[in-house]
Amino acid sequence: MTAVKPFFVDALSSALELGIAKPDDVLRHVTPDVLATHLPRPLWARLLTACLGAPKVTAQLVVETVGVGNLCEHIPSPIIWNVIAEVAARSLGHALSIPAAPSPIVKAADSEPTRKPLAIGSPPPPAERPAEPARPAATAVGPSIPAPAPAPAGNHAIPVAVGIEDVVAELEAETPTPPVRPRTATGSGNRFRQTNTNIGRLAAANQSRRPQASVGTPPAPSPGIDPDTQRPAKTARRGETEIEVEVETEVGAKDDWRTTLAVEDEQLVDWSTSEETQTTTEGEQQQRKR
Amino acid sequence: MSTDQRQAWFARMMESGLENRMFAPGDVLAHATPDVLASHLPADLLSKVLAASLAAGAMTPERVLETVTPELLAKHLPHDVLWACIAAAAARAGVSTSP
Repeated sequence: MTAVKPFFVDALSSALELGIAKPDDVLRHVTPDVLATHLPRPLWARLLTACLGAPKVTAQLVVETVGVGNLCEHIPSPIIWNVIAEVAARSLGHALSIPAAPSPIVKAADSEPTRKPLAIGSPPPPAERPAEPARPAATAVGPSIPAPAPAPAGNHAIPVAVGIEDVVAELEAETPTPPVRPRTATGSGNRFRQTNTNIGRLAAANQSRRPQASVGTPPAPSPGIDPDTQRPAKTARRGETEIEVEVETEVGAKDDWRTTLAVEDEQLVDWSTSEETQTTTEGEQQQRKR
Repeated sequence: MSTDQRQAWFARMMESGLENRMFAPGDVLAHATPDVLASHLPADLLSKVLAASLAAGAMTPERVLETVTPELLAKHLPHDVLWACIAAAAARAGVSTSP
């Protein structure tokens, strides 16, 4: 069983004592995240106490407070080795690239597949788009307010102020949507009112609305006699917009046609005396006259 | 960083590696081969090595390193060689993937 950690203590402490390594070299790999993960809480308490009492928190303060022995004892050996290896490579003049602290982010980046360099003549790679963030489900804003419609995918543009020209162009570009119910041609007989004869023209002419007094609703008249005129109450006038029902064309019950076709006795024609109804020839008439 | 500082550091690392059995004298001579030793050690030191071996009747790595101490290794041998020894030991210990 090899004692790697005592060797690390000797190598790292001697490097720090000789000035070959600096505390910044240590903290480049032994990052605060690494310390938070591996350093025991009592040592963290000591470190926090020292940092709170120091006028300036530096890497030297951290390394001296924690101690090289504790660092090599609690920090994973590969990380300490990276510190020593980086210092050695630098001292030997090697361009040795030692990866930084193996944080989860670095691991994730290393796990990505390696990309081959593209040739100059090759087309550019497709643009990478970040993954769509999960949109929360649309919920109703209120009891009578419908839920907002989700925005189309990929449209992340925040609406900004545009010019009036853009708005006009956009409106012109829109295709007119057909009405839901086509408008039927109305003949002159169905027109109840001439144009600009209704109350709406007054409102259209005078846009500003004048203050109006409230009018109480009159009591409902009795159905029998008008209280003012002491006459039989007239039926309510038909509204101007009401549609008159053509009773003549209605086909009523089975006996209605009999009452409609009832003929008075005066309207009856004597078929035997009426010349119009005679069907005999002139010869027969002369014989009758004789 | 001066050469003396680096030399002292490598000497300390070699000494610590041997003390902590991170690597053995044979591991050191696996990198500090006879050719390397013959090329970099001074003549008087080569003489002492040979004399000690003759007196003991054998030349072993331990006996060589008794004469050529870590300080002398760091003083005369290229540090790349020493570092290769250390890195190989670290790789064997599982703390480094590349020796």
